[in-house]
Amino acid sequence: MEMDLQINVRKNGTTRIIDLHGEVDAYTSARFREIMLELIDDGGIDLVINMCKVEYIDSSGLGALVGGLKRVSERNGKIVIVSDGPQIRKVFEITGLEKVFPIYDEEHHAVEAVGVKADS
Amino acid sequence: MTNTDEKTVQHMDISVPEEFALRDEVRWLKSEDLSLFRFLRETMNKIEPAYIATYPPSECGIATFTKDLSSAVAKYTPFSKPSILAVKREHEIEPYERVVRFQVFKENKQSYIDAAKYVNDSTIDIVSVQHEFGIYGGDDGEYILDFLEALEKPAVATLHTVLQRPSPNQKRIIQEIGRICECMVVMVRTGREILLNVYDVDPKKATVIPHGVPNVHRVSASSVKRALGIADKKILSTFGLISRGKGIEHVIRAMPMILEKHPNVVYLVLGETHPGVRKHEGESYRNMLAETASELGIEENVRFNNRFLSLNELVRYLCATDVYVTPYLSKDQITSGTLAYALGCGKAICSTPYLYAEEVLADGRGMLVDFESPESIAKTVNNILDNKELKESMETAAYAYGRRAAWFNVAVDYLDLFHRIITREKVKTGAAVEAL
Repeated sequence: MEMDLQINVRKNGTTRIIDLHGEVDAYTSARFREIMLELIDDGGIDLVINMCKVEYIDSSGLGALVGGLKRVSERNGKIVIVSDGPQIRKVFEITGLEKVFPIYDEEHHAVEAVGVKADS
Repeated sequence: MTNTDEKTVQHMDISVPEEFALRDEVRWLKSEDLSLFRFLRETMNKIEPAYIATYPPSECGIATFTKDLSSAVAKYTPFSKPSILAVKREHEIEPYERVVRFQVFKENKQSYIDAAKYVNDSTIDIVSVQHEFGIYGGDDGEYILDFLEALEKPAVATLHTVLQRPSPNQKRIIQEIGRICECMVVMVRTGREILLNVYDVDPKKATVIPHGVPNVHRVSASSVKRALGIADKKILSTFGLISRGKGIEHVIRAMPMILEKHPNVVYLVLGETHPGVRKHEGESYRNMLAETASELGIEENVRFNNRFLSLNELVRYLCATDVYVTPYLSKDQITSGTLAYALGCGKAICSTPYLYAEEVLADGRGMLVDFESPESIAKTVNNILDNKELKESMETAAYAYGRRAAWFNVAVDYLDLFHRIITREKVKTGAAVEAL
């Protein structure tokens, strides 16, 4: 099966910015979850997940995010989302998860929201 | 297929993955992180839908659709309890899943009223009615109106049949459903146009949400065929519950003309005879198909798999398919789950121009053939098999459509609709299909 999700990670202090490109679904969400948890275990406190190039996210993708939230919460971190597309926003809105994962149109607003701390 | 083929295909990793959905994650949190679990429970939206329809193990397309839809919606609503009001014959014992919370006896009018009372007294927020004339009791299934009249909760009706030339009673039923329900869902724009033009349904009440398809990522047909031991074959296929309206005999009659140009073609007819048909005429249609193949001397090139196929088996066979064919005979058919599945698997599709096929196969997503015309089928199939670029462009276009119609996206459309109705927002007509 094809794996239709590209994942790229950038580092900004203790914030990790994860760029997703493609579909976050049952085929790809396990890899996304794994990378997210590795980043947190390696010192990432806050995660900015840029979904501007995500076409679709399904409930397994949302489940991966909740799994990540559990791990960052243990370190008093946050997960915020960047998305400028109505389809992705709708998924968060209908589930009520937009109240759990704040969504920003622009990445710099999301980075400001988590507040960059120096990497120790 | 032979037993050997069956065994081989089991080893191929071509299946719809088991997903660890939001619902599973939240359940896990309950034991791992109670405070986060409670936070999510207080914060996330809760919608409790009920679905009235047939339901597995009943073997019919509506039952499968209802299970697929209700399961897909439930994955997004971990703190809500879905309910199925399953319609069945009174004397039949169905080993239903626990989600079936009420059994409606098809031919018992009072049972529909009791079902409505059950919903009225429950925490259910909204009812999704899956409508097809044959699944409910009374003339043309009119007992569903008794349910709706007694219901005190909002309802949405998904119409699986929208007749262009209904009888007066059928027209009355659809109009009454339209009057009582907050919204009517059809799966293609043509269906919506018929609702407005033939049934005078309020345009604000008619919306389009595509038929859902399994979440299947593309895989090359050749790799699956290797696993099936048929790497040297070109595969045509048709699947679903078999009955006379499917027109499969016309594909079989097209086969000699196809084999003339492509001698390695095999036509797979996948699926058992429709249980309702089997009850009345046994396997006479399938026997006729086999006899036709025999008379034409092409038994080796036409193979039947006469049993209920699991989703993963279907996906494997579809992935191995070069050209999927729906040779159906009824122009009025407004939906087809099997055609939707083939789109979802990104297949080159050849179909008669029934209403659903005409719309979903437009813009290069498939090719249409004349009704009851083996010549037209043969010409089109040969054209697709001869032209690699054409085949690939059809597959790509079909797959793109299928992604938008994946169950996880369709579930979001339904949840959005339920949410809007519960919060009394205006229903966006045609919203879902605009995105296609």
